[in-house]
Amino acid sequence: MENKKQKLPDSGSPATRGPKRPKIPRQPMPEQDPRRRRFNFEEVPRGYAEKNAILEASRCLRCKKPGCVAGCPVNINIPAFIALIAEGRFVQALEKLKEQNALPAVCGRVCPQESQCEAGCILGKKGEPVAIGRLERFAADYARDAGHQQLACTVASTGKKVAVVGAGPAGITVAGDLARWGHHVVVFEALHLPGGVLMYGIPQFRLPKEIVQYEINNLKKLGVEIRTDTAIGLTRTVDQLLEDGFDAVFVGTGAGLPIFLNIPRENAIGVFSANEFLTRINLMKACEFPKYATPPIRPRRAVTVGGGNVAMDAARTALRLGADSTIVYRRGLEEMPARAEEVHHAREEGIAMHLLSAPKRILTDDRNRVVGLECLRMELGEPDASGRRRPHQVKDSEFVVEADTVIVAVGNRPNPLVPRTSPDIEVGKHGTIVADQKTMMTSKPGVFAGGDIVSGAATVISAMGQGKRAAKAMHTYMTGEEPPCT
Amino acid sequence: MAEIHLTIDGRTVTVKAGATVLHAARQAGIPIPTICDHKDLNPYGACRMCIVEIEGVRGFPTSCTTPAAEGMQVRTRSPELETLRRRTLELMFSGHPNTCLVCPHREACESMRPMATKAGRTTRCGFCSNREECDLRNMALQAGGRDLNLPTLYAAHNLERDDPFMDRDYNLCILCARCWRICEKIHGKPAISIINRGRQARVGTAFHKSHVHSGCTFCGSCIDICPTGTLTDRFARWHGKADTRADSACILCPEGCSLTAHVKGGQLVATAMTAFEPDSSLCALGRFGYAQIVNAPTRLLRPTIRDNGESFSVDWDSALDAAAAGLSKHESALGILVSAAASREDRHLYHLLAQELGAKFAAIPATPAGTKPLLPKWVTGPKKSRSSALILSGDFLEDKHLAGLDFLLVIDGLPSPAQERADVLLPAALLSEAEGTFRTASGQIKDLARSSRAPGMARPEWEILWDLGQKLGLKSMAFDSLDHITAAVGEDPAPQAFADAPRHDVRTLPAFYRGHRTADLVPALEAFGLSATPRPLKQDVSIEGFQLLETRELAPNMHLLRIKAPQVAAHAKPGQFVILMAKETSERTPYTLADWDAEAGSITLILEEVGRSSRELALLKAGEVLAHVSGPLGKPFPVAKKGTVVLGGGCYGIGAILPLARALRQAGNHVLSVIEASSAYLLFWEEELRAVSDEVRVATKDGSRGAYGGVQEVFQQIVDQQPVDIFIAVGCTFMMRMVAELTKPWNVPTFVALNPIMVDGTGMCGACRVSIHGETKFACIDGPFFDAHGVDWDELACRKSAYAREEVEALPQAVDLSALMFPGAARPRCGCGR
Repeated sequence: MENKKQKLPDSGSPATRGPKRPKIPRQPMPEQDPRRRRFNFEEVPRGYAEKNAILEASRCLRCKKPGCVAGCPVNINIPAFIALIAEGRFVQALEKLKEQNALPAVCGRVCPQESQCEAGCILGKKGEPVAIGRLERFAADYARDAGHQQLACTVASTGKKVAVVGAGPAGITVAGDLARWGHHVVVFEALHLPGGVLMYGIPQFRLPKEIVQYEINNLKKLGVEIRTDTAIGLTRTVDQLLEDGFDAVFVGTGAGLPIFLNIPRENAIGVFSANEFLTRINLMKACEFPKYATPPIRPRRAVTVGGGNVAMDAARTALRLGADSTIVYRRGLEEMPARAEEVHHAREEGIAMHLLSAPKRILTDDRNRVVGLECLRMELGEPDASGRRRPHQVKDSEFVVEADTVIVAVGNRPNPLVPRTSPDIEVGKHGTIVADQKTMMTSKPGVFAGGDIVSGAATVISAMGQGKRAAKAMHTYMTGEEPPCT
Repeated sequence: MAEIHLTIDGRTVTVKAGATVLHAARQAGIPIPTICDHKDLNPYGACRMCIVEIEGVRGFPTSCTTPAAEGMQVRTRSPELETLRRRTLELMFSGHPNTCLVCPHREACESMRPMATKAGRTTRCGFCSNREECDLRNMALQAGGRDLNLPTLYAAHNLERDDPFMDRDYNLCILCARCWRICEKIHGKPAISIINRGRQARVGTAFHKSHVHSGCTFCGSCIDICPTGTLTDRFARWHGKADTRADSACILCPEGCSLTAHVKGGQLVATAMTAFEPDSSLCALGRFGYAQIVNAPTRLLRPTIRDNGESFSVDWDSALDAAAAGLSKHESALGILVSAAASREDRHLYHLLAQELGAKFAAIPATPAGTKPLLPKWVTGPKKSRSSALILSGDFLEDKHLAGLDFLLVIDGLPSPAQERADVLLPAALLSEAEGTFRTASGQIKDLARSSRAPGMARPEWEILWDLGQKLGLKSMAFDSLDHITAAVGEDPAPQAFADAPRHDVRTLPAFYRGHRTADLVPALEAFGLSATPRPLKQDVSIEGFQLLETRELAPNMHLLRIKAPQVAAHAKPGQFVILMAKETSERTPYTLADWDAEAGSITLILEEVGRSSRELALLKAGEVLAHVSGPLGKPFPVAKKGTVVLGGGCYGIGAILPLARALRQAGNHVLSVIEASSAYLLFWEEELRAVSDEVRVATKDGSRGAYGGVQEVFQQIVDQQPVDIFIAVGCTFMMRMVAELTKPWNVPTFVALNPIMVDGTGMCGACRVSIHGETKFACIDGPFFDAHGVDWDELACRKSAYAREEVEALPQAVDLSALMFPGAARPRCGCGR
């Protein structure tokens, strides 16, 4: 972040010139050299300097009907925050962001902007869209470095008690909002550290853990009580929490049940769910073995199955652990659900990709250790329900990818611990909790839910958005009033 | 010399005068069993296995101490001798855990548990790091039969793990006295001897001092000569028996002692003396430090270059290109600083390079603790007189010497602050990873063997320099082979020896290797006053939390922990488990709940010390706080009235079945609890179980209590006597598998609590997946109880061993310095558990 302290341009700042001005190209973000970052866990994009941020912000046309806002799952007032950046009012820009987004430093890094806000940007029709994600990240990082602290907007306590189950993105959002509105919030986390997927899933090089820690510290400063090592459903159930005197409960337990491929020898040594692989490295710090006691994974040839963000994270982590890293994905590059930037970074770092290939079986040695992955070629047919073209197997097209480590990153199902122990919360087809899309209230009064436990495996921003909605509805549910601030 | 003729078992044998009867018999090829005898030790007559009958001599003299005499009539075999030897062996085994021998399931267990369990105490089969090399066991196995008629008297000596490098468990000692005899032979004054008398007799130091203060030089000969698993090398012990041995020499100080490298699967696991002779002794660093340096987790793996301020790893060719380019650019002002702890070939090539490039050259000698090597003026002098480009083969310079360098090439195997500034960093093979020769202080030239694999992309320095010479086009550095380089070295001067040889005095051990502090690489060296790089003290402050209320060693290796965890206690149900982390850096490890008290807010666990995580927990003292206790986890056992329920528990499972027995009996079942242990002294909680069961039966693998065998033998007995509605077994995978195979034909529902490796324990990671009737289940949320008849046991056993090697590496090598200074503080409990 050393380049962030550069001086502002003295005069004639593009911001003052208004929208009609010579064309400014989309500002590139400095990145760590791919030759170097292959071997470290430091963050890859380094963030904008103030100068670049102002330049980039000044590209925004401030449309009357902004497509970006429509594309944003939480409808952030994007032109407004960008205008504040263009004026050099970075902290105010953050506050604007915070109205809709509890975690801008996180979302600026992990949102798939190219298919959300930036997809709606009018500049993108003929050229390149405004780098909204990078600007969001810039404003959040700037405010964090400047020691900005979001304060409670009411001093008076409402006397209401709220239980938040799961300290992931949805839970953090709900806890933060409700604490600022004067409620006593207790967050229950099953793992030993709060943060959920931000902590155990997304690697350091994409989301530095200091940022997550900063958000958690903010919660604590707002008076939120965080109880780790507490798996609701196994200790207290949701029903019991209501009996304990909590006025409302928010369930944000996420999609923490990995899906496997269901192919032969999948339980061989060396086959990991992406969750396990990433948890060992990110949460348990196995890469700092033997200081940390969790045994490290030492892949030489790692094959990751899947095309989402988690697959990219796993493949890039394996690479950093010293492996030749390969991705096997059954559709094409176009169809990959991962953020374009992650796919780009992965390719830049030298990760090989077997596209249109689906795993058929795991090959093992006599000690049940993985030696390879047999795959089948695929071809794309008609679009399926998700709008993506459905892949079909090509007969007799088997081929083998050598591997000592296979990482399965084909998605997660909702964690069953809460639904299993709360029979009167209505559950959907795939084990998701059914919630009202406006209020996020479940079929059980006083119990709200949001994040991946409702939407299946989705994004941080949608979890955060549902958290925002839930917090609002919970406040109204408990007090009968609108929240005192956004 | 005169010759003597004697008759042994009817054969005439001719030996030189002075030979013992044992020598004579061996010379004639007549086998006599021995334990305390060793070819490098004087006869002692301690074990009494080598007894013979000699005509005209009263009783049964020991052949090792009896000189052969003219006309002697010796018998080595007779019914009386066989009986006596058998009794002697039984006596020895009565003081030495012996289930590794007598267990009826020995063969099956050994085939399923090839790796030794990293237990604190050796109490049973699979727990002994020395099983593959145990002389005692080999002799007993040769004698045949597994019935020993004397009970095991476990002496309950404390484990001695506070000294550097060695773990001692005197419960395995058979008082053969090999250790102190070799100590006396090598050092003149032994640091250890037999202390106490009668049943209390044991090996120890004078006044129970720590070995550090007893005059011990840590040459390791006692470990290498011990016939049992009593004395072990902490680093090497769990790696198993070496598959390759290679003679080489130590280059860590000018002494250049000969040593033998012990290698397993390409990994150096230990270095030991080449012979049990005073001249062959090694210092603590040479004996114990070598393998730790070579296996340092911080080893450099990849060539790295710096470009535009960014450094990144590259292939060897690009790195050498960059190095050559940098060197040719800065030829005029180059200095080369190498370590004297290198082969003659490496040094010769560095020297040639210096000559060719007109560079200044200096070799930094190894120095004993307390002294610092002198650096040449051209690196420490005023800035103007300094070389502005350097080649470093180690960590010799401080920041101030490195400032303002135009070019820095580092060729080293270990990290140093200087490398942050290096323009090119080349990873070198170290010590046992490279061939060559070494000239010792006495002028002798010794061969260095390449016996282990270098990590990552590291290469021997002579190879690197040779390639570098080619890249620079230096004709004088073109050699055909290493032998040619050796030939070209010529008469190099012998290095200056240390004033006091490190092998005689631990206070003069080399403090640096290639400029790196040896105590950083081999943490236990701090016990000898060698200082490691100071690290900022980070205190773990626990504000509140999971306090350890009580801790007790119930039986050897089995620890009872009562922990304050109100939330777990309030919700626990029979069959559930918790995940513990002793420290923030610990692994998340699951343990079955053995009991709980919701009112007091405490939980009770019984855990067996079998590796780093359980050891961290076992070593906690009452009052200390655990970092995390997460639970209760897992599905409770579905308690219902079924009729007659038979529970089987082994090791930690004895604790685990207690709450099950209580709940099942309360539900109206007739509950029979069966517990097993290797030997009677390893049983615990029999009374506690009796209080909650209708009947308790016991089995031991040596038959010392109850039925001879395990849980499965008792299950068979019960089924023969009465109908059973459910079997439940909790214990090691082997025991549960045996039970599953036994009950399958009876068609009685059988449940087992599976214990695979877990990470989160809440279903999130899938590490704990098991196959039940061909379907993948997660033991943490679908289990731990499963239908025993549907379990894929081979898969489970395999998955449990996934991290076998890493688990060995995880065991700490540092010693607790405060325990050495205040011996009393490190003895929190008696160790016997009774």
